[in-house]
Amino acid sequence: MISRNALERLDLLLLALETIDLNGSETIISITNKLDLKSVLPSKVSIWKLRCNNPMRKTFVCKNIKNQEFEALIKITTEMAKYLYPYIRAIISSKDNYEKEPELWNDFQNRFTELIKARFNTDSIRVKNLIDHQKSAEFYLRILINLSLCISEDGYFRLKTLLVNI
Amino acid sequence: MLQNKYKFHQSSVSLEIIGLPDYSKNDEEKSISIISKWKLSIINQPEIEGSLDHLKSIISTFYKYSMSVLLDQEEYLVNKLIEIKPNNNGSHTIVLKSTKVDVKPLKIVIGNAELSDIINCIDQLKDSKKINLNFNELMPDLSIKRFKFNIRTKLFNNLLPALMAIFSITILSLIGINFYEKDNNIENNISFNIHNLY
Repeated sequence: MISRNALERLDLLLLALETIDLNGSETIISITNKLDLKSVLPSKVSIWKLRCNNPMRKTFVCKNIKNQEFEALIKITTEMAKYLYPYIRAIISSKDNYEKEPELWNDFQNRFTELIKARFNTDSIRVKNLIDHQKSAEFYLRILINLSLCISEDGYFRLKTLLVNI
Repeated sequence: MLQNKYKFHQSSVSLEIIGLPDYSKNDEEKSISIISKWKLSIINQPEIEGSLDHLKSIISTFYKYSMSVLLDQEEYLVNKLIEIKPNNNGSHTIVLKSTKVDVKPLKIVIGNAELSDIINCIDQLKDSKKINLNFNELMPDLSIKRFKFNIRTKLFNNLLPALMAIFSITILSLIGINFYEKDNNIENNISFNIHNLY
């Protein structure tokens, strides 16, 4: 049984990738084709339906997600993080040296917040906390660190371990 | 004999491995099974090199530390060759100890970006088919971590609501008993003077 926390984190990881890649939804589809995951995730809608298992979403649906679908989403996250690694690293570096170069971090933070506002239920206290920059800056950084440590085959297992244990 | 050399790069970090194939194991000419030298270079930091034991110790400690970072349980890891600890400002301090008595430990401070680069560089080394190093003994025991982590979360998520429920029921029962006893006492204090009724 895959926990709600795992689905919530996985959706946030994908959302962070979409924040960095402006054409994220199309990239997800092309990675699905590249990884030959069409049989598990046949269309954009099927991916969106799985991501709607995140309880923080406006369009939350409570459906039991299959292990195969869960693993496919992790594979997509890993592959997309690998391709976006230079950008992820640059944003983390901007946060590490915030006093000298805050621009990249601020841009990421603002766009990530905008995407959360657009897709998540902003009436929820958790989402309100998530879009509050003072409360959530460390969590955003953690999301990016999660992505930066999962860009290889071992990274896939590390991410899976994290999501199973969350 | 000519030594083989392979370099793994990831942004600010590069890891160089120099060594020889083990012909007794029918290794290919271009592979490395006997590592004679290695060098880890991080931009703006001194170069790190050492023996095979140092390399193994660094790999195993970094893998363990990366899991603790992922699981949000950043911990202070220490062994006889390396120490890694998280700092309050989000950076990480690494102390590398030499086996030679007269060499002082090397202390370096790296950010999260460099930490990711190091882990990804080590992953490249692990994935390389040219270098034969037994990584199984260097990987963190994820099942144990999972078990430990689960116990903590299970205690919090599962046991706490149950304990709260038992506590609430006990409190409500005690209050109920108290009221019941008061009512009983009131009833015992009421007496009728039957003689006057007739």
